[in-house]
Amino acid sequence: MLQYVTINMDGALLRVAKGTSVLDAALEYGVCIPHLCHVPNLSDMGACRLCIVEHVVNGKAKVTTSCTLRVQEGMVIKSNTDKIQRLRRNIAELLVAEAPNSRAIQDIAARCGVKTVRYPFRNEKCVLCGRCVRVCKEMFAANAIGFVGRGKERRVASPFGKLSEFCKRCNTCLEVCPMTITPCAGPMKPGEEYLCNKCESQLMEIASAPDQCFFCDLGEGFQCSRH
Amino acid sequence: MTKFANAAALEGFRRELLRQRDSIKGTVTICGGTGCQTSQAKKVIDALRAELARRGLTKEIHLRPTGCHGFCEQGPLMVVEPGKVFYCHITPDDAAEIVEKTVIKGEVIQRLLYTDPVSGKKIHSEDDIPFYRAQDRQLLSQNRQVNPLDINDYIAIGGYASLAKTLAKMKPKSVIDEVAASGLRGRGGGGFPTGRKWLECHDAPGEEKYVICNADEGDPGAYMDRCVLEGNPHLVLEGMMIGAFAVGASQGYVYVRNEYPLAVEHVRAAVDQARELGLLGEKILGSRFSFDVEIARGGGAFVCGESTALMASLEGTVGEPRAKDVHTVVDGLWHKPTVLNNVETWANVPSIMGKGAAWFKAKGSKGSKGTKILALTGHIKNTGLVEVAMGTPLRTVLYDIGGGPSRSKDIKAVQTGGPSGGCLPASKFDLPVDFDALYDAGSMVGSGGMVVMDQGTCMVDVAKYFLDFLQDESCGKCVPCRLGIDRMLEIVTAISEGRGKPEHLPLLEDLAETMSLTALCGLGKTAANPVLSTLRYFRDEYEAHIKQGQCPAGVCQALIEYNIDESKCTACGACLRACPYHAIQGKKKEPHHIVAAQCQKCGICHAECKFDAIQVA
Repeated sequence: MLQYVTINMDGALLRVAKGTSVLDAALEYGVCIPHLCHVPNLSDMGACRLCIVEHVVNGKAKVTTSCTLRVQEGMVIKSNTDKIQRLRRNIAELLVAEAPNSRAIQDIAARCGVKTVRYPFRNEKCVLCGRCVRVCKEMFAANAIGFVGRGKERRVASPFGKLSEFCKRCNTCLEVCPMTITPCAGPMKPGEEYLCNKCESQLMEIASAPDQCFFCDLGEGFQCSRH
Repeated sequence: MTKFANAAALEGFRRELLRQRDSIKGTVTICGGTGCQTSQAKKVIDALRAELARRGLTKEIHLRPTGCHGFCEQGPLMVVEPGKVFYCHITPDDAAEIVEKTVIKGEVIQRLLYTDPVSGKKIHSEDDIPFYRAQDRQLLSQNRQVNPLDINDYIAIGGYASLAKTLAKMKPKSVIDEVAASGLRGRGGGGFPTGRKWLECHDAPGEEKYVICNADEGDPGAYMDRCVLEGNPHLVLEGMMIGAFAVGASQGYVYVRNEYPLAVEHVRAAVDQARELGLLGEKILGSRFSFDVEIARGGGAFVCGESTALMASLEGTVGEPRAKDVHTVVDGLWHKPTVLNNVETWANVPSIMGKGAAWFKAKGSKGSKGTKILALTGHIKNTGLVEVAMGTPLRTVLYDIGGGPSRSKDIKAVQTGGPSGGCLPASKFDLPVDFDALYDAGSMVGSGGMVVMDQGTCMVDVAKYFLDFLQDESCGKCVPCRLGIDRMLEIVTAISEGRGKPEHLPLLEDLAETMSLTALCGLGKTAANPVLSTLRYFRDEYEAHIKQGQCPAGVCQALIEYNIDESKCTACGACLRACPYHAIQGKKKEPHHIVAAQCQKCGICHAECKFDAIQVA
């Protein structure tokens, strides 16, 4: 029989099944926690760090990712404090500076309140969220792609650089990739870097309640589970 | 050899060993640590062995190659007993003379003695050398008494007695209480109370538990763990056995990096010897406790020193950290409760059990007990391994033990704790070597690396160096660490090249906070420390780079210029010949000058000039 626990999320008491992650619990109840590397039904690796929340233990708030945190009875979570919003904005800023050419990343940056980017733009094609790697491994048991290299050298590649014979050409890796949706205005050219402002109409609405899910379109690009 | 059936058999064996050794007239101890091996220690040992054999003294004189003695600057080192005569900078050619004069006749060879740089006097005995005198060598002093490849040496000085006592007389819970009472804190960097860690693992549900020794030391300039493991592997093993007994583990791992070949070799030999004597295996010393140790070699990734990455590597997967919302004492190696401690932490355990928690607690400061091994490197006279009681002021370590700056320039800062630590300025040298005090000052004790930097060091350059190191060593899994370090390096590089902007400094601080709060593992959380601490104490240097476009220390190449002071130039031509870019022109008896367009600012001429005529501006 399914067991339930009660957690305190931003003051609201949520009754959630034991074993779920705090992020899933929040999304289920319509609390908006921006996320990128999380894919429903896949294991969470805590790579993008966008879904950070404050976990209050003995009066001390500890910043941790909600996707890797399992619910426990009586757990106290603060999902959208000023501090969390600021940290999220900084992380989203790092991401969007890396890949301003992705619609999904632009949307995430908009959702996290990034207005200006303080770093020079790069036109990276991959933000190493690892969605493709995990879906290939966990859903199809193919392991046709994986991470290669460390640090700055890290990239997604197939074994020995050749198409793996285990690849079923199912294209799921493409479907979950946040970079494959055509951006509104195409890749940025050097000297023409700007942050897309087309989502501003949405932002007006969202800014009034950053912690609630409005079923906005901003999650489309990375298949937000509420979308 | 037969296995020891019980504690009494071990004690009997030790007595027998001591009785056999009574006939030995003298001992020649030579440091065979990695530091001394680079300065020909192996050849010295071979020469001495040959010389002793030639004279037929092998039975009377005990030749003992040991692990590191600590004074690496002076290597190869040797101590001749009786008399504790201390020789340094020995060459293989000295072997015959040493045996002839010192070993046989008991005379002292003045030439090989250590000269005190302050008084200029020759010092006979190791105990009188200032470098050793100001230390409190609890762990390192054993290195000198033990041949790491011979378990008998370790047993002879009372080794494994603590294990025997623990197994015979104590319950696991009381072992944990004793360690907790001693106030021992993790020596790997975190400073987490060891007793608490053990208790949490002991209380964690599960039959199968593990203990791991973390010997994946990777901080630039740190080699404490290496020397302990190389010099006294049985001490670490004994600590692990006691820990395993306390938490209820029956399997242990030593995760040692493959770049430490000597440590791997020694710890392997130690495990084999301990197995032979029944100190590892089933029913150790007649108790119900069974334990074995496996050696795992790391590939040299810095991040594999992080507990979860190390465990991932041990499991055979990619060495990447994972979220630690559930601690490794509950969910560790193969999802079993696991205690992971650093080499030095394990090495402290036998003496705590042997001499008692009160003995250990008597040393140290309020929050940090016992002694700590530090690796002194950089612009300091006496580089080497230093062991001091916790709470000793940095000044004592740097000046009394370290002997002060190695060059004519004053010490400007000391970098403690490796890439996770920070730089402390000279004004903070009265701070004690204490986990909490250094943490509050924006640095940390860390694993004990201390890189000393004098006035000729640019702090922006130092920050850049550590960021560069961390960028290479970050696993790249999480965004704040991978991109945060990358962007920080980009900004600091811009500053060092004169492209810095005033808004860069608050941006660095903002980014540093984000990284420290949101990164996945300890590496990312502390990666900003070198930048933060230099910004905190040397902000004026950053500002000089940004606002005046100057590098006060004359290090950052883009911001400096080399000029020849014509009044000092003697036209000797040394710089002219040395310049690889032919950027220096001049004729005989005429002051030379540097052609700015051709100058690559390598600084070779500056180092070459004997008349101080080449100036950096």
